Amino acid sequence: MSPGLELWLFAVALATSVLGGVLGMASGIFIVPVLTVFGRIDIHTAVGASLISVIACSCASAAPFLREKLTNIRLAILLETATTSGALCGVFVAGVIPTAYLYFVFAAILLLSAQQMMSRRTESIVTQNAGSSRWTALRLDGAGYSVQRLPLGMALMYGAGIISALLGIGSGVLKIPAMDTALRLPIKVSSATSNFMIGVTAAAGAAAYFARGEIVTSVAAPIALGSVIGAVLGARLLMRVPGEKLRLMFVGILLLLAMQMILTALGIRLFGAAA
Amino acid sequence: MSTDELPAPLERILAAMLRHGTSLASSVIALGLGVAVPYAAAGMRIAALGIALFIALPVARVVAMMVFFARSRDYRFSGIAALVLAIITFSFLVGAR
Repeated sequence: MSPGLELWLFAVALATSVLGGVLGMASGIFIVPVLTVFGRIDIHTAVGASLISVIACSCASAAPFLREKLTNIRLAILLETATTSGALCGVFVAGVIPTAYLYFVFAAILLLSAQQMMSRRTESIVTQNAGSSRWTALRLDGAGYSVQRLPLGMALMYGAGIISALLGIGSGVLKIPAMDTALRLPIKVSSATSNFMIGVTAAAGAAAYFARGEIVTSVAAPIALGSVIGAVLGARLLMRVPGEKLRLMFVGILLLLAMQMILTALGIRLFGAAA
Repeated sequence: MSTDELPAPLERILAAMLRHGTSLASSVIALGLGVAVPYAAAGMRIAALGIALFIALPVARVVAMMVFFARSRDYRFSGIAALVLAIITFSFLVGAR
């Protein structure tokens, strides 16, 4: 393994992680497309490395949210039963699904992310019916909100877990709408709680990949390191960068990557090996 | 009913755990990649340990929650945390098979 490739992997992770941090979204979604399309790395290797990056980013950024008490810990552990079960299922599916389908599913998730990035998240109108929540015995409610439609939320989280283990992403793209619209959490709470859960969800998938020997150290190590450093830098830049142009640029990148993933699924490659 | 009723330390314990754990795992990976420049095989073994540490970190966080809930006599949530641990362990065993 050449040090050149490792430097390139490190740089890719650093750049996507900084940009992801600036936009307040997970960068995991960029790692697999970039590695497979430009690095011509096997998609299973890319997914394994990306899962490690997702864990690293989640752990690196969790502390401030916890200290501000934005993270709903009780809700997180409850929903994690669903996301880890989903991840277990995703691990099975990843073992049997033809690679071309994997690219198609990834393209669909990229398009969904682009769409989500265009439509701004709106605060769900919280009807304060304190006490009328059916889940009071679980003591899930936080300051100023009560958790709604828990079974629907759990079902969506199961789906998010499958996608996470299958594609090596945090599935924030599925978790956040589940929390905003099904559970009716305030935006900051759902972002913090989703970020907190992503680490455990990815660990459930990564544990199986690791045991299978599908996590290639020379690929995953530089990616993980770049992601952590990028996440720390990105969080500091968060407030300083003008958002709108960057968002549009990102939507453009997501669309391009989606297109490229579809082409790859069909066996057409536009790019040679970059590294 | 609010999460404020949780004894405050759990948030602080988890925040400290994740912060120090991230530093440790990242340092081990950085060390491994450094060593790999002259000694590829040895360096990669160290880096692989760092990766294993990263996978173990969220699992350790679930263990901490399980213990904390049990000590607060919140056996229902302690059980939920145990279930999450069981699922992750099963996933690892399925992969190792």
